[in-house]
Amino acid sequence: MTAFAEIGVTTNFSFLRGASHPQEFVAQAAGYGYTAIGIADRNTLAGVVRAYSAHEEMKEQTDVLPKLLIGARLVFVDGTPDILVYPTDRPAYGRLCRLLSEGKLRAPKGECLLTLADLLRWQDGLLLVVMPPHPRRDRTSIGLQEKVWNDGLADRDGGPGSIPKESFETRLRAEPDEIEMLLKQLLAAAPDRVWLGVSQHMQGDDARRFETWRVVAGRARVPLIATNDTLYHRYERRELQDVVTCIREGVTLNEAGRRIEANAERHLKAPQEMAELFAHAPEAIAETVRFADRIAFSLAQLKYNYPDEPVPKGKTPQQHLEDLVWQGARWRYPGLLPDTVREILEKELALIAKMEIAQYFLTVHDIVKFAREGEKEEGKAQTILCQGRGSAANSAVCYTLGITSIDPVQMDLLFERFVSEERKEPPDIDVDFEHERREEVIQYIYRRYGHHRAALAATVIHYRPRSAVREVAKVFGLTEDIAADLASGVWGSWGSNLSDAQVRQGKLDPFNLVIARVVKCTRELIGFPRHLSQHVGGFVLTNDRLDECVPVSPATMENRHFIEWDKDDIDAVRMMKVDVLGLGMLTCIRKAFDLIKRYQNQTLDLNMTANNPAVYEMLQKADAIGVFQVESRAQMSMLPRMQPENLYDLVIEVAIVRPGPIQGGMVHPYLRRRDGIETVEYPSPSLEHGKPDELIPVLKKTLGIPLFQEQAMKLAMVAAKFTSTEANGLRRAMATFRNLGTINTFKDKFVGRMIERGYEADFAERCFKQIEGFGSYGFPESHAASFALLVYVSAYIKRFHPAAFACALLNSQPMGFYAPAEIVRDAREHDIEVRHVDVNFSAWDNTLEQDGKGGLALRLGLRQVDGFQEKWAIELVKQRGNRYGTVGDVARRAKLPKRALIILAEADCFQSQNKDRRATLWDVRRLADDDALPLFAHQFVEEQPEEEIAPLPVMPESEHVLADYQMLRLSLRAHLMKFLRGLFQSEGVLSCWDVSGDLKAEPCNEEGKRPICKDGDSAACAGIVLTRQMPGDAGVVFITLSDETGITNVVVWPRLVEEFRREIMGARLLVVEGKVQCSSQGVVHLVAERIVDRTAELERLSEDDHGAPSFRSQGAARHHHPRNVRVVPKSRDFH
Amino acid sequence: MLPALKAVTANEQADLKLLGRIADWCERFTPFVALDPPRGLLLDVTGATHLFGGEQAMLGRICANLEGQGFAVRGGMAGSALAARALARYRSGSVAAPGDEAKAIAGLPVEALLLDPVTTHAFRRAGLKRVDQVAGRDRRELTSRFGARMVFTLDSALGATEAPILPRAPLPDYRAERNFPEPVMTEDVIRATLTELASSLCEILEKRGEGARCLEAAFFRADGIVRRIAVETGTPVRDPAIIERLFRERLDALADPLDPGFGYDLIRLSASRAERAEAGVADFDADLNAKREIRFLIDRLAARFGAQRILAFQPNDTHIPEYAFAAVPAQQIQETRIAWEKIRRPGEAPRRPLRLLTKPEPVSLLRAIPGSNAPHMRWRHAQRSVTHAEGPERIAMEWWRHQDPQPTRDYHRIEDAEGRRSWIFREGIPDREDFSAQWRIQGMFA
Repeated sequence: MTAFAEIGVTTNFSFLRGASHPQEFVAQAAGYGYTAIGIADRNTLAGVVRAYSAHEEMKEQTDVLPKLLIGARLVFVDGTPDILVYPTDRPAYGRLCRLLSEGKLRAPKGECLLTLADLLRWQDGLLLVVMPPHPRRDRTSIGLQEKVWNDGLADRDGGPGSIPKESFETRLRAEPDEIEMLLKQLLAAAPDRVWLGVSQHMQGDDARRFETWRVVAGRARVPLIATNDTLYHRYERRELQDVVTCIREGVTLNEAGRRIEANAERHLKAPQEMAELFAHAPEAIAETVRFADRIAFSLAQLKYNYPDEPVPKGKTPQQHLEDLVWQGARWRYPGLLPDTVREILEKELALIAKMEIAQYFLTVHDIVKFAREGEKEEGKAQTILCQGRGSAANSAVCYTLGITSIDPVQMDLLFERFVSEERKEPPDIDVDFEHERREEVIQYIYRRYGHHRAALAATVIHYRPRSAVREVAKVFGLTEDIAADLASGVWGSWGSNLSDAQVRQGKLDPFNLVIARVVKCTRELIGFPRHLSQHVGGFVLTNDRLDECVPVSPATMENRHFIEWDKDDIDAVRMMKVDVLGLGMLTCIRKAFDLIKRYQNQTLDLNMTANNPAVYEMLQKADAIGVFQVESRAQMSMLPRMQPENLYDLVIEVAIVRPGPIQGGMVHPYLRRRDGIETVEYPSPSLEHGKPDELIPVLKKTLGIPLFQEQAMKLAMVAAKFTSTEANGLRRAMATFRNLGTINTFKDKFVGRMIERGYEADFAERCFKQIEGFGSYGFPESHAASFALLVYVSAYIKRFHPAAFACALLNSQPMGFYAPAEIVRDAREHDIEVRHVDVNFSAWDNTLEQDGKGGLALRLGLRQVDGFQEKWAIELVKQRGNRYGTVGDVARRAKLPKRALIILAEADCFQSQNKDRRATLWDVRRLADDDALPLFAHQFVEEQPEEEIAPLPVMPESEHVLADYQMLRLSLRAHLMKFLRGLFQSEGVLSCWDVSGDLKAEPCNEEGKRPICKDGDSAACAGIVLTRQMPGDAGVVFITLSDETGITNVVVWPRLVEEFRREIMGARLLVVEGKVQCSSQGVVHLVAERIVDRTAELERLSEDDHGAPSFRSQGAARHHHPRNVRVVPKSRDFH
Repeated sequence: MLPALKAVTANEQADLKLLGRIADWCERFTPFVALDPPRGLLLDVTGATHLFGGEQAMLGRICANLEGQGFAVRGGMAGSALAARALARYRSGSVAAPGDEAKAIAGLPVEALLLDPVTTHAFRRAGLKRVDQVAGRDRRELTSRFGARMVFTLDSALGATEAPILPRAPLPDYRAERNFPEPVMTEDVIRATLTELASSLCEILEKRGEGARCLEAAFFRADGIVRRIAVETGTPVRDPAIIERLFRERLDALADPLDPGFGYDLIRLSASRAERAEAGVADFDADLNAKREIRFLIDRLAARFGAQRILAFQPNDTHIPEYAFAAVPAQQIQETRIAWEKIRRPGEAPRRPLRLLTKPEPVSLLRAIPGSNAPHMRWRHAQRSVTHAEGPERIAMEWWRHQDPQPTRDYHRIEDAEGRRSWIFREGIPDREDFSAQWRIQGMFA
């Protein structure tokens, strides 16, 4: 068989140019038995790790694999033809990275600006293949070139210098002479490392052109090398290739003309086919193999390169780490250090020493220490709350270093799950910080490690169903309407497919030819990388220059950089990464701590002993609005069933309401066993296959039911006898849900082997279902434990300092599941007095006030007022003095623009002046406009004489409430639904209390009314949609409806979701008909059977005098004041 | 929701045009008709009501008549335009007696005043939701908040002040017309009139720096019949001589010549579409002048034979040879950016044949190309031996235009023993596409 190596591969990481994933190329190359395959994307290395990972994975299955070559296709702005470059060794690779980074740093975002001079400066060790352009295409760099001229980029600092336009155009024409000169120029710098690449794409004059290049190459004395200059791995991708070309060019297929390729020849071809195409020049084929042999670089040569800053002079990192650990042990375990702890610490330290990763721990410790203590020279006392999450909580070393807050010894967590010798992967520590102060931590990292060694990881933004279908539909010339219809059926922006059902949901026929083609191309396009963006907090740190490991691009924010690889890529090449994440709840806890300190003079911190029974009592009653993690509908309905009594119960609570255990059907068995209804037993293999108790150590803590991610992994190894390599593969397949195909290959193995070994098929199936569910939403035990502690801390605050809790929650918005309206309502139900926003009492933030009864009241802040700006609030507070007497007073002293005053008046913030919204608004209208001529500016308000006016009509309560909702998204007066009660009563629609009130509650509700419905009753209930939630991929939707009597939890089964998708996704006010379902713990659900969108009723409510004019299509109704349009805030949706 | 409901995209221009037509029709009641877009008309019927049997009767007649034409109509009548507008919208069919305006609109919602949305919103927020509530406020109080204009509007709606109805302004249009006290019938006079109108029209165009792309001559016969003749041009013109010549061509070529009947009492020449045109400075560039001459020739030919019959080739941007050009009306030819490919290197044979067959015709090849000893090609019963061949040029069909997969073509340029060169292709890629490999000839190079 002909030996052939393809060196010209453009993957889909050359955005909208390539039409196949890197891994598809690698697999196809392996299938064809290539000698080697080289990935060379346009001025980027973004896709090479994907290829590398696929390559590594295939290594485990087969010995004969094409060699993977890492390279790039340099596209120049000075008219030089494209050049493929391949580094021969690690130093040369470093130079390629530097070259690309340089080009990116001086270019606008997402572009790369390179000239031939740049290449000549960095060419050492790079193999160079000149790709002569085809005169009928490849004029693609012209756009960027124009940009260079227009934006003056060329002359900018570090820019390539001005390039004469003429020389650009000559070079672009690629006359043979020009190419010959270029080859000679390159050859002078890089003797022995220059090639001329030739392709045969069946353009009619292939032979003629080939002869030209043969002569040119001969004269320049460089070898010819064959490449098919591929854009996709199989010819079937031509259609997608055409579509992405059109997306790139912004044209439809019908307009595309010759912008798309004439044929489908730019795919990987079998070596035999290549040999036939180059039958007249077999030496060009043979050259590919020689070329590949020259390359000795592999991505495996990158890896551990940890910073050594934190290590003091004269000590090894390991010594320093040990010092810190023992020091920390004395802090964590005051008194005598238990022997068990000492043993575990020693064991961990030994493993760390063996793996030489002490610097990793020291670096993370260094960052955490900054958050905790601040930099000494700054003398900042204000500390930033932080807590490690994820598997780091398995490590006692992390606990003693203060990185995590969970004692793994006490929790019985295993270090091996964090770092293991077998996995040969660096540990992965993620640390949560207060989300509002994460930036300080990031700045510290830059200060400490320098911009040349620290950068953010990338996030590859992929095409999601919605974005894909929009763009594809446009290319096919479909109207926006149809594209929107197609996209409308897609839930959220996530998901990985576009089903026929979704197409039909958009009222379109999936069998229509055009629609079918759109759908086909969309399906292929989904998952394609679209652009690179910076990761929120994934930092990459190196000891040497980072830009010699990976190309670095400038981020949007000044002085920020991010690398070209995402988290998975970084894992794959084993670089040091630490996640600096922002967690809203930490901000909220910090704010609550501060309020408690200020108003109640108590000092609290995260290191609580989680054993106060009152806290658990509260949680058992599902009184959990605002509490971290357990506030969702699903969690709140679980709490009464779980009856948590200690921290470990919370760990399980956090982990159990997740797609994994739910899809695996593990929830109910666990609850039954917990309640003692079912006996605890452990599935076992048949006798000849092993000990019957082999699963007891794995499942003991969770009563024989696998609930955590690592239990599932352990099952694979113990019960299905996965080798550690296989288990690793399974773990990776779980981690990347994009690899939809790969997980199924494990399924047969997993289920098959378990059955073979005598396990029940049903159990095996469920275990695997759970693994699938874990996909992207799995919780390992350690992670759940870290979160459980925050559950406890936030619940503790809610229980003992409810006012501070509500206040801190509101000040940390947006976060959590509930809108401010629900938080306020919950606070009032806990007897907290909530006071309206007021110009004389409110600050920007929500604040606490003495309520005169020895407790604290919550004063709403100006941040709750829609459209009011923080700078206005600051000025308002600063100039307040004793108090403001009139509207004019506020205008004069705080110098607020009229717009701000109108907002304040509309929001009814002048109550302390004994004026309601109507009267103040009438007063505000009288003030001069902001754009009054300077001449009149001095005669501001004070000049206006007092006026005696007739009183305005009294504002009805419903109108006040509606205005409250419009301005604050909540009302302290009443619930909107109160005003629709009469209407719904006449229709026989029940209130939330009627449907799901507590039957046993004493006293009943305020009116002394008992709820009407019992388990199994049919009922209809109306309410404002608070939240919509679709956990995992189960297809069930949970909706929370709210009215003046309480809330009702609605469950919509998947069948109905399809039928009522529009209502579910769009409505603000719903009437749901269905069956009432009561659990034994008193949790009530309304299982939907029919759903009606009644949002229009809210608009009717805004017709405040109910004899609405019959003919309103003319003036006013069409030009609503903008505020009138949105009567009720959008619900919060979670996917 | 409503299966019978048909949704149509709004076309504001068309609506406005229609409104203008209704206004035309309304001129039979009063010459003072004003547009109140998007869908209102204001008629000043002062002094005209008695002709139609009084106010109520007149309003009823107008509404009924328009309804009969298929429009949904709401109408009101009052002593002030604003009051009438309010009544039409909120209490259709009612007439406010003079001096009763305030009373008539008192109970209407404040929106009936048709103020700007911010002001309307402010009134509603203040609880002043009916017209009388606003009307009842102190004028100084209102002026200090909403300005004098708003108070003026309010008072004119209430009938306290006068706001006149401005009749429709004539549309900015290029037209010239000539009235004849005595109807004219002779051709000489008609032609002379056209010449005269053409020069005055061109004068107006000149002033605005525009030229006409579309011209219309309207001949109003004394008995009410109107004959309209239109000509189009490829470039904007404002040369009277050219216009006159175009109409002459057109009139001469008319299948049914003008029939003056009892004579024309009005002839109007108008430019219904005008575009910006450069001043007609004489060009010294011979090439440009030649081009212009060609365009005038095209216009004249088109005026005589019809635009659809004067065609020119225009390149199409596509890989598919038979679609790479199209014959379109010569007047519509655009100087497209897409030029024919000019990639032929000096000394190379052309890539595309000089002549394409209307339809590729099957040929049989006795040996594959490129073969060794001269393969034979049989076409139209003649056999030729192929001496040279170059290819393939592989062109895939535009998949999105076809229902079923189309065969990819492999084109070859071949030369036979007599030196004839032709362009042949084979359909379908063996082993990849499911077509029997058929050879066809599509064109000849020379």
